Amino acid sequence: MSQQRGGSSSAPIAPMKAIGHATPRIDAVERVTGQAIYTRDVQLPGMLYAQVLRSPHPHARIRTIDLSKARALPGVKAILTHENCQVVWGAGSISGGSQYNDQMKKITKHRRYAFNNPVRFVGDPVAAVAAVNRHIAEDAIQVITVDYEVLPFVLEPEDALKPGAPQIWSEGNVSPNNKNEIEPMTQRRGNIDEGFHQAAQVFEGRYTTAFCHNAQMEPRACVARWEGDTLTVYTPTGGISNCHHDIARDLGMPDEKVRVICQYMGGNFGNKNQNQDADLITAMLAKEAGAPVKLELSRKEDFIGMHGRWPTVQYYKVGVTRDGTVTAIQMRAYSGMGPYRKNSGGIAGIELYQCPNIESRIYPVYTNKTVSGNYRGPADPQGYYPIQSMMDDIAYKLGMDPIEFILKNMVRQPPNATFTNYTLDECIRRGAELFDWKKRWKPRPGSDPGPIKRGAGVAFMAFRSGVGMSSAVIQVDATRRYTLFVGVTDVGAGAKTTMDIIAADELGVAVSDVKVVWGDTDRCPYSVGESGSRTTIMTGRAVIEAARDLKRQIAAEGWPTGDAVLTASASPNPKTPGQVRNCFGANFVEVEVDVELGDVRVLKYLTVHESGRIINPLTATSQIKGGVGMGLGMALHEDMLYDRRTGRPLVTGYYFDRVPTHRDVPDIEVTFIETDDGYGPYGAKSIGESGMIQTPAAISNAIFNAIGRRMTDLPITRDKILGALA
Amino acid sequence: MKTFANANALDLRHAVTLAQQAHQDGRTASFAGGGSDLLALVKERMVTPDVLVNLKTIKGLNQVTSGKGGATIGGLITLDALGRHALVRRQWPLLAQAAESVATPQIRNVATLAGNVCQRPWCWYFRNGFPCLKNGGRTCFSVTGENRFHAIFGGGPSYIVHPSDVAPALVALDATFRIVGPAGERVLPAAEFFILPRQDAARENVLAHDEVLASVEVPAPRLGMRSTYHKVLDREAWTHAVVSAAVVLAIDNNVCHDARIVLGGVAPVPWRAHDAERVLVGQRMTPELAAKAGEVALAGARPLEKNAYKIPLTKSLVKRAVLALSALG
Amino acid sequence: MSKKRKQEISRREFLEGTGAAVIVASAAPALAAQVPAASAAASESSTVPRTTVRVIVNGTPRQIEIEDRWTVAELLRDHLGLTGTKIGCDRGECGACTVLLDGKPAYACSNLAAWADGRTIDTVEGLARGGQLSPLQQAFVEHDAPQCGFCTSGQLMTATALLAGTPHPTPAQVRAALAGNLCRCANYNRIVEAVVAAGSTTGRATQAGGAQ
Ligand SMILES: Cc1cc2nc3c(=O)[nH]c(=O)nc-3n(C[C@H](O)[C@H](O)[C@H](O)COP(=O)(O)OP(=O)(O)OC[C@H]3O[C@@H](n4cnc5c(N)ncnc54)[C@H](O)[C@@H]3O)c2cc1C
Ligand code: SF4
Ligand code: FES
Ligand code: FES
Repeated sequence: MSQQRGGSSSAPIAPMKAIGHATPRIDAVERVTGQAIYTRDVQLPGMLYAQVLRSPHPHARIRTIDLSKARALPGVKAILTHENCQVVWGAGSISGGSQYNDQMKKITKHRRYAFNNPVRFVGDPVAAVAAVNRHIAEDAIQVITVDYEVLPFVLEPEDALKPGAPQIWSEGNVSPNNKNEIEPMTQRRGNIDEGFHQAAQVFEGRYTTAFCHNAQMEPRACVARWEGDTLTVYTPTGGISNCHHDIARDLGMPDEKVRVICQYMGGNFGNKNQNQDADLITAMLAKEAGAPVKLELSRKEDFIGMHGRWPTVQYYKVGVTRDGTVTAIQMRAYSGMGPYRKNSGGIAGIELYQCPNIESRIYPVYTNKTVSGNYRGPADPQGYYPIQSMMDDIAYKLGMDPIEFILKNMVRQPPNATFTNYTLDECIRRGAELFDWKKRWKPRPGSDPGPIKRGAGVAFMAFRSGVGMSSAVIQVDATRRYTLFVGVTDVGAGAKTTMDIIAADELGVAVSDVKVVWGDTDRCPYSVGESGSRTTIMTGRAVIEAARDLKRQIAAEGWPTGDAVLTASASPNPKTPGQVRNCFGANFVEVEVDVELGDVRVLKYLTVHESGRIINPLTATSQIKGGVGMGLGMALHEDMLYDRRTGRPLVTGYYFDRVPTHRDVPDIEVTFIETDDGYGPYGAKSIGESGMIQTPAAISNAIFNAIGRRMTDLPITRDKILGALA
Repeated sequence: MKTFANANALDLRHAVTLAQQAHQDGRTASFAGGGSDLLALVKERMVTPDVLVNLKTIKGLNQVTSGKGGATIGGLITLDALGRHALVRRQWPLLAQAAESVATPQIRNVATLAGNVCQRPWCWYFRNGFPCLKNGGRTCFSVTGENRFHAIFGGGPSYIVHPSDVAPALVALDATFRIVGPAGERVLPAAEFFILPRQDAARENVLAHDEVLASVEVPAPRLGMRSTYHKVLDREAWTHAVVSAAVVLAIDNNVCHDARIVLGGVAPVPWRAHDAERVLVGQRMTPELAAKAGEVALAGARPLEKNAYKIPLTKSLVKRAVLALSALG
Repeated sequence: MSKKRKQEISRREFLEGTGAAVIVASAAPALAAQVPAASAAASESSTVPRTTVRVIVNGTPRQIEIEDRWTVAELLRDHLGLTGTKIGCDRGECGACTVLLDGKPAYACSNLAAWADGRTIDTVEGLARGGQLSPLQQAFVEHDAPQCGFCTSGQLMTATALLAGTPHPTPAQVRAALAGNLCRCANYNRIVEAVVAAGSTTGRATQAGGAQ
């Protein structure tokens, strides 16, 4: 990794004491000794084991469920089905897909229950059993017989909108927005007709992206225990506060009666900043059985029962003038949401261009696949790839270097606002220089002689880094030991350590002088949750404010003595009026394509990111590297395929998903351009999603440069490469 | 998992007896080598044995014993040991290469030669429990479904490709398989061990339920013999061959005297390309000849909707494997 | 920038309640042989075939009655309280469960406990000696090799075996040896860096009498 402070166009930033220095994670020892307790590791006395029976049909009405044999098995303690459990999973389906909105969850028409009838995808929970051990629970679900009336199903969003398509909900297959209207997500700027009128040439393209699973290493699990009317839930969540509130609401309980604990979790990557059906099912089983219950999903259940990135079909029409200025972008797209609207279905990318005339319509469409949800850059990589491929293609067609084309057309100012700071051209120029773009890029794509061809590609990003509300509490005791209470879990990005560093710097003490308490709603204040790359920005800001308050208290009241403690808390809710806060970045890739075998190898991967001030360069760099590695999987391998005839999934684990291994991911070179725009904690911006979102676009563009064929469907597998070259 | 009893076999006869006894009592039995494939199927309840006959407790079946005409390789040798074995590496490099190309170190440390050859198909319909021919059903879902990885030769009614990396190498080496069953022993040429779905769509080989694959005999290399295993994977590790080519050539003075070309990933059995072999024999090795061998090897391939790409792919692979061998001085 | 809001945030138990009594399977390094509750529950099904096996777990010989169907992972996690070994797939597709069987990396999910009879099993809990992290663990800490940490135990075990045979591996050797350990956080660069670094310190550490 290399680092630079400040740059040609950004002011140098002031060095700090702990911040900006590579700091190993404060919990690294627990993580390397096996002492870190993940949800699956929790064992409670008298704990039962649960198993879930899931629908084998993509769409069916349950006529009857016969539980008699399962009930008769010795050791079976509780069974739930839609007949005896009508809990609504509020976060599982929301009009418009807008999370964290109780009002929306209430008015949502297309409700998702913990157990649904009809079942609407293969993997939809039908029954759950708790038994004295895992084997008996498994035996029990084998002997539950369900009589299904099989209904017609539809898998692809475009098919779902054809006349005569099976209707998954009576209102039709376009999912309603947050006003409960059946409307596509529409965006307009300028005058699209005028834009095309100004254009000398108009280019059109159709792109598709696949359904990709988050596939975090820890399959979903939950342990639930009741003590009287108080519920404790251990669950892998990146947002204990939101998960906590969701569980209380869904179970009709006051917030104080629910406690959520997540000390460690095995990866997030989206969709874990709320509760899950697994949490509700486990809690209800524990209640029914009168004993603690542990539910551990299998890898297959996690693939088919949880969520992946929404698959998309996207149509673009782009107008450009003779000198390569984009004058119009029109887009029509379809996002496959599965049978419930868990998240937006949005597709990002158009905002990356300064183009004055745009029009986009995105249809979030119900299908009978597993429900889609947020996954690292929810709307981004699947949108960046098509539009940045389109633009790359246009650059070649106009005889322009793609970088020249980007610099001409990329966003420089957001609509009706300004950026808090802007470094996109610096990221691109710097990256091009470090990467040696002029040398690696082939003016004539596919021009390498012989079957093994190299090519270079570029893609860029501008991604939200908004500020917002979160909380922190800091305490100091008479021995001058500090304790920081933050509602983070640390999904892998290093949040605890980041918060510790920020507190230490602000308090003027060593990182080891601050103890962090995290991951327990009974002990920690609200935190925004580790999604949307915002924990550092929002909770980090709250840590600063709390630390400042504590210093003021110490100055005013003196140090505490005896048993006394001083406690400071803060819940700042900063704003950036009239300004948009983004982080920026550019990726440069060199690939080698074997045109006889269809192999694609990534030889060199270089990224330049401006994510404001870097709190911990060690973990920040790991985030970018990890994001790129994941993006590589999305670009080249991952695809949750379904069988057309039966509507059943075929890719139900890591093997068929071809998740990248140690040997697939090259060295990823990361450079940060550091800035301080005065917002966030000392100018820190988002990082967690930045690595991934432009990777498929960059790799695809590099493949074009190598072989002269535009790959329009993700993932870019061997069969597609050989097909394009045939 | 469904319950079962583990029974440690003391020797081959005991293994067979354990299986037989189970069957006589109306129970089912499965042989376990490394168990790396079997356990997954048991967990999915696709195989539901009452007795698991553990072969790893049989002494001496994990050795390579060299003799006059070649070597006997015990069926219980791990793929890791096979890949590292000095004699194997020297005399039959393609066999070591094939073993080393399998899955991951953790799997190779436990998976056995016999288990690898007898592993069940990796068709995603089969592995996901679709009620297809291999799961006791009556249809093949792949023919009209997602058949990117399926057979272009020898398919019907099932279109699996044989999953083993080691199998094409053994066929290319003219190995023979020693099988022990209730009636005693039988020895078969490797090529006859594997069967096409049209012979029996539920099985991949000739083994009866109570027969054990005990060992394989590999004949000593002929003069000038060289060999290679070329495998194409969809990620750099941990997947079966999309296609593979096991090639054994005897070359003297740049002229090919003998050839075996066996393809993996193209058919329900290791697929011998006889015509391509004939193209090579008696000829001077040139790039053009290698390319021609590739062309001929794929003649008659019948792709399904989504696997036509395997044809140019395999042509190129055969060409490269042949060229790689002729380049070896 | 913004003024602190004196908003009283939930000051309730987070001050006094230092976590109710939660029994978690801690990584008891002493390996006290306790019979966990789950075993008692399991014996409810009396028809299930059971066997007694002898294994040496992290250096401690143990004799344990198991169900024939238990995997090594299940034995370790549910019945020996060694939850450092993780299950990411239970099918030989992820590597999170990697342990050393007789010193060689193997998937604990894909081997029956019955087959481990008479063998040694080494898990992540056994890597640190006398409260000292192994040089490899230390390198994992310094090079930020764990992100979420769920694959980490497995990576460590495979890498431990690699270093035992190849004390100074190249990055390419590390990648090949660790090909059977997925990291979905895709922190591969860091893991390789850490193993290479541990390789370069191992020699020194040994010369210096194991200090690190
Ligand atoms: C993720 C993954 C990736 C893989 N990738 C590859 C790959 O790239 N290439 C490849 O070749 N394989 C691959 N495999 C398969 C793997 O190699 C096999 O699981 C392994 O070789 C089987 O050997 P085993 O000894 O463990 O067999 P077991 O699991 O013990 O047995 C496999 C089958 O053979 C039967 N059997 C075993 N031994 C005998 C015997 N002596 N006589 C008669 N029947 C017997 C069993 O009853 C069972 O049906 C992969 C597996 C996984 C899980
Ligand atoms: S190819 Fe064979 S295993 Fe696959 S679906 Fe067809 S019959 Fe089943
Ligand atoms: S849990 Fe054993 S390999 Fe995944
Ligand atoms: S650190 Fe998360 S899977 Fe490797």
